[in-house]
Amino acid sequence: MNEPLANSGRGHRQQFELSIGCLPFRLQMSDAQLFGAASARYAAFSDAVAHPITIALNEGTDPGVTLADFGYELEGAVLRAFSSGIRFDGVRNQYALDSLLRVLLSWQLLSRRGFLLHAATIVRNGKAYIFTGRSGAGKSTVASLSPEGSVLTDEISLLRREDGVWRAYGTPFWGDFRAAGSNTSAPVAGIFRLLQAAENRVEALRPTAILRVLLPNVLFFSTEAEANRRLLEILCEAATEMPGYNLAFRKNAAFWEVLPA
Amino acid sequence: MSSPAPVFWQKNPALAWREIDDETVIISPNDSVMHELNDTGSFLWKNIDGNKSAAELAELLVQNYEVAPDVALSDTQSLLEEMSSRKLVLCVPATSGVAP
Repeated sequence: MNEPLANSGRGHRQQFELSIGCLPFRLQMSDAQLFGAASARYAAFSDAVAHPITIALNEGTDPGVTLADFGYELEGAVLRAFSSGIRFDGVRNQYALDSLLRVLLSWQLLSRRGFLLHAATIVRNGKAYIFTGRSGAGKSTVASLSPEGSVLTDEISLLRREDGVWRAYGTPFWGDFRAAGSNTSAPVAGIFRLLQAAENRVEALRPTAILRVLLPNVLFFSTEAEANRRLLEILCEAATEMPGYNLAFRKNAAFWEVLPA
Repeated sequence: MSSPAPVFWQKNPALAWREIDDETVIISPNDSVMHELNDTGSFLWKNIDGNKSAAELAELLVQNYEVAPDVALSDTQSLLEEMSSRKLVLCVPATSGVAP
């Protein structure tokens, strides 16, 4: 839902609403160029949502508030989260907006038993297959080898535990394959750590090994001890409840044949 | 030559840790490094509470595992030194039994 707002003194503020992983946001900004880029970028995730969390872009410091619940700075772009809303300042381009949105999501998911993971997610037979690994491990290759419409994301997956079930959501944050991301979700079939190899093969992992796979690939930006304790609690739950595998991967579509159904 | 002042050991309060799959996983938020402790390491970790010395921790090890006291003390001191070098534990002056 896109609509102009009252003139804030910096030009007309515009806003649109989006939902990522069922987390509702309302982005407000005066910069027409950034608005155009952002509304196009997040088009697949734009949605009229109930009770959105308002994010005000580049509105400057509100003299009425001083202490943020959470803050983060990335190359001059600053996120500050208050109980009354979120502020992004110093956002000059879509890249900075994308980055701060990821940081915000990672923080908001803590209270919703979820996390962001560097991983491609492909839906097959109604189940989400999560493929994770370092840059170059093959996330985008897996996406490129998968049928059109089955790629929830080729770069950053959002995982949440809902009613005792882990679900994977698409996100608008894309990788080399440039899959625009799909604003849908599916229950998780398993987490697969991509390892380049001469043959396709899977090996089941114990929970500790799954945790070892997850940790370096989780997007998390807080160094606060309590937030990290909560994250670790969520990741241990995920590692215990979701099956995980090493996937020796030859970078061809035949890898699907060795995956557990 | 006087003996060194007794110290108690405590967990670094800045860390996050959980037990999973009979192991203890410890995360250091500042550098996102993951540390893992095996069964006996996990036992010691659970008992590091800021009120026990290395000798007291070793004594607990002797009571719960089939290990000779001298080996338990040596292993406990080695683990504590290793964890201290990784900033997982801190030593604090022992105060119990000392008059103010």
